[in-house]
Amino acid sequence: MNALRLIGILAAKDLRIEYRSRHAFLTTLFFALLILIIFNFAFDPGNQSIKDAAPGILWVSLLFPGVIQLNRSFQSEREEGTLYGLILAPIDRGVLFFGKFLANFFLLALVDLFVLGSFFIFYNLTFSTRLGWLFLLMLLVGIVFSSVGTLFAAMVSSVRARDVLLPILLFPILVPVVIAAVNATREVLGTGELEFFWQWLRLLVASDVVFIAGSFLVFDYVVEE
Amino acid sequence: MSSTQVAPLLSISGLTKRFGVVTALWNVDLSILPGDFVAIFGPNGAGKSTLLQLVAQLSKPSEGSIEFPEAADSGREEVGYVSHMSLLYNDLTGFENLVFFARLYGIEKPVERANELLEKMNLKQARNQFAGSYSSGMKQRLKIARAMLHEPRLLLLDEPYAGLDQHGSRLLTGLLKQLREEQRTVLLITHNLGEGLDLSSRIVIMNRGQVVYRAARDDVDETGFESLYFRTVEG
Repeated sequence: MNALRLIGILAAKDLRIEYRSRHAFLTTLFFALLILIIFNFAFDPGNQSIKDAAPGILWVSLLFPGVIQLNRSFQSEREEGTLYGLILAPIDRGVLFFGKFLANFFLLALVDLFVLGSFFIFYNLTFSTRLGWLFLLMLLVGIVFSSVGTLFAAMVSSVRARDVLLPILLFPILVPVVIAAVNATREVLGTGELEFFWQWLRLLVASDVVFIAGSFLVFDYVVEE
Repeated sequence: MSSTQVAPLLSISGLTKRFGVVTALWNVDLSILPGDFVAIFGPNGAGKSTLLQLVAQLSKPSEGSIEFPEAADSGREEVGYVSHMSLLYNDLTGFENLVFFARLYGIEKPVERANELLEKMNLKQARNQFAGSYSSGMKQRLKIARAMLHEPRLLLLDEPYAGLDQHGSRLLTGLLKQLREEQRTVLLITHNLGEGLDLSSRIVIMNRGQVVYRAARDDVDETGFESLYFRTVEG
């Protein structure tokens, strides 16, 4: 059967389960909004310091709660052993990876949309055409985050300390991507020319290719035993 | 091979599985013929579940081989596996679970196949209930339906009687008898000596990772089997 169709079937199953419970989505979204609100109160409104810190706050509020979504993504497979059921099916392990990746990416992109809207309201930023660039950044970082996150979530899914282990494994790998995302966001939120934005964007596109390929190749070994 | 001999469906040779320093299975040889209904008995930790996981190719052997001589590929599609865990999604209905797995197996008419199996397992009334809300007996039958979706030539059942009440056990026994009458090849692990003996055509007893006794069902005296079992595993 067509691999793309199988990926769609796997992702649709995860999204259907999440739609029914909404646990991961609502918890991730609530945590993200909470971070935005806390930082909003921590800084003096109208002060230049909040404008300087805004890019960092945005990415902290997107990435840290995203770990909740990733940790939950293998919950059904862990609790009822359905990963065995998936492995027993005559499908390529890569298809399993991309099915999980797609569902995680879609849910995180949905959270990103809500967070982005709230971010502009809380931090009193003006809507402009640059908003599109910011959302593009979110999608590019989302690809890296979901691909490496899916791999590591599968890796720690059978470990008791998985909730602690996942962020410890994930964030060091993501440091270069976060640096690129924060710097590119600073340019987008500023009023000047997008001088270095394209360089950061290129770095993120390259990261997407490298991380997705790497995660895809390693996933097979992760689910082997 | 003479013309009267039947080629084995599954051939296990010198199978050993180690987990670190623990040897779960040691040098197991077993041959399963088409239509065999093999009951595997043994105390906890005898290596029965490990054997089934290796046959299902969910784990790799440390030594030895598992071959499906007539299979076109690795033999994964030859096997339907019912484990301790349900392998079902609690937040999907029984019907959705079967359709989902049927699609993964590339079954041509997944909806029709799911309905057919729900009917066969007497689960049609519970078709649209979440699998998480099924009773143990219903879940056990849904597990078997999931394992049979792709018409596997070999069905692996790991303690299907676990957690069932008397009514559930009776329903399951009826279903397993039906499988035997259909000449399906089954490897059944059970602690229920009576049921296992009643259903099987061959008997295997395992202890400490090894096969310690094997016989055709007809060669086993039903009345003396329990004492034979305890002598074998305790001796």
